[in-house]
Amino acid sequence: MRALIFAIIFIFSTSPFSLSSVISDIDKSNIELSTRFDGTSILVFGAISPENDSTSLLIEIIGPSTSVNIRKKVQIWGIWINKKIAHFQDIPSFYQISISNPEHPVLIEIENQKLKSLFYDFLEINSTPNDGNVVEQYYDELTRLKKKLGKLSAFEKQVNIIDKKLFSHKVNLPKKIHPGIYKIKMTLIDQQGIELSKSEQSVKVSKVGIQEFLSYNSKNNPPVFYGLFSVIIALFLGFSAAQLFRWLYR
Amino acid sequence: MQIFLPIADVPVDLFVLLILGAAVGFLSGVFGIGGGFLMTPLLILLGIPAAVAVATEANQIAASSFSGVLAHLKRRAVDFKMGNILVVGGLLGSAVGVEVFRIIKSYGQIELFVSLCYILFLGSIGTLMFLESLSTIQKSRKSENTFKQKKKHNWIHGLPFKTKFKSSNLYISAIPPVIIGFIIGILASIMGVGGGFILIPAMIYILGMPTKVVIGTSLYQIMFITAFTTFMHATQNKTVDLLLALILIVGGVLGAQLGARVTVKLKAEEIRILLAIIVLLVCLKLALDLMITPNDLFSITYGSGS
Repeated sequence: MRALIFAIIFIFSTSPFSLSSVISDIDKSNIELSTRFDGTSILVFGAISPENDSTSLLIEIIGPSTSVNIRKKVQIWGIWINKKIAHFQDIPSFYQISISNPEHPVLIEIENQKLKSLFYDFLEINSTPNDGNVVEQYYDELTRLKKKLGKLSAFEKQVNIIDKKLFSHKVNLPKKIHPGIYKIKMTLIDQQGIELSKSEQSVKVSKVGIQEFLSYNSKNNPPVFYGLFSVIIALFLGFSAAQLFRWLYR
Repeated sequence: MQIFLPIADVPVDLFVLLILGAAVGFLSGVFGIGGGFLMTPLLILLGIPAAVAVATEANQIAASSFSGVLAHLKRRAVDFKMGNILVVGGLLGSAVGVEVFRIIKSYGQIELFVSLCYILFLGSIGTLMFLESLSTIQKSRKSENTFKQKKKHNWIHGLPFKTKFKSSNLYISAIPPVIIGFIIGILASIMGVGGGFILIPAMIYILGMPTKVVIGTSLYQIMFITAFTTFMHATQNKTVDLLLALILIVGGVLGAQLGARVTVKLKAEEIRILLAIIVLLVCLKLALDLMITPNDLFSITYGSGS
């Protein structure tokens, strides 16, 4: 990693860049979800060549898509019952956006635009009321709940820039994450939020070992096989226990 | 030690699960009960989704009842003919139960449904046990504990399809065992219980089976029903968490062996009262969870279902 940083510095210091550019790398390209997985972090680093001081670096991490239901508890006959009120089709299971300059003038606009294009546009409403306020509430609840689960963060952490050239950023992933491809997008923007240059990396998050073997989604493990396997294992263990204790107390 | 359960999709502490398995296994060894009706709600209270708790517990019971059946086979204490007829009813019941489960799950209300079933169930069983043990204690204090069960010639004997059950020394209709088996199948599939606490009294009081074959025969039926239920849940609902099942089986086996061999210094009635109190506490906790205003009214679930 250090060698790479030096290489980057070397390239940047020797070649005269007229255009702005981003080059980047990550410290790992694979994350394995084992039974003992307890969250992890990805280090994103690289170099930028800004035209002037007014450029900022955006780093986004976009997890694999999932469908999300928002449920609300309603009280019926004294008991609280879950009611599905909204459905978001295929939205990122994890999303984090950070910027190098927290005082960027159009930060709020960027955040709103990102949330809209990644999340809000995929809302499918379930319950009947349809006035504007309700839809806004679904958006608010989605972002609030996702933030609570550590699966959404917008400009909570600043991207470190060293010497206006090098950057590094640590992304923390919670212990409960969806397997799939996590895209990491680095975008250099100007004061108006216009894209100048970008770079992209990806990390593959996959279930391994017993997690993979016991997953119903696994290709070589259809539910019928899973069912039979569960029964056989149970009967085998039951049999072994009976034999073991008969032998022990003989 | 934190581990991540693949199907339940929640991180849990391995030792907590092992101890829970052993504790319920111990109780089942002491009281001679299956333990499913305690384990499933406890798993739910630990944060495991109800659908996974039910299906996985069925898997555990398949293991424990098989090891129990083997012991009873040695003593020739299994009425196979009666057992097979019960199994026929049970398989039907289980298939129906799993389908009902799947439909309720597709509406996203399985947590509520299982909770309500358990509140009703644990509430009535706990209350009955509590009252019965209290009255037994009172009776024994007056030293007149002569409780005899009368064999009635009831409606059972008027039903058709009579058949001979050699081991049980019975000549009765096959209809009641099929119906009883059916009910047990439903209970196993929607609640993740073996159903012994209903099956055993039903065999004694309704069918009139002799006590010496009752436990072996009930374990025989329970083993088939829970194995079938596990398979059905795995294929229809994809809710069997084999890793969770393995941990519970290991814990349960150790606990049960200990429980069966430990000499409990309490009187039978006092043990029963203790069990009744545990059952009622679990019931109360489930009921409170449904009634207390939640901190957060909103929640997220994944997937295209509910």
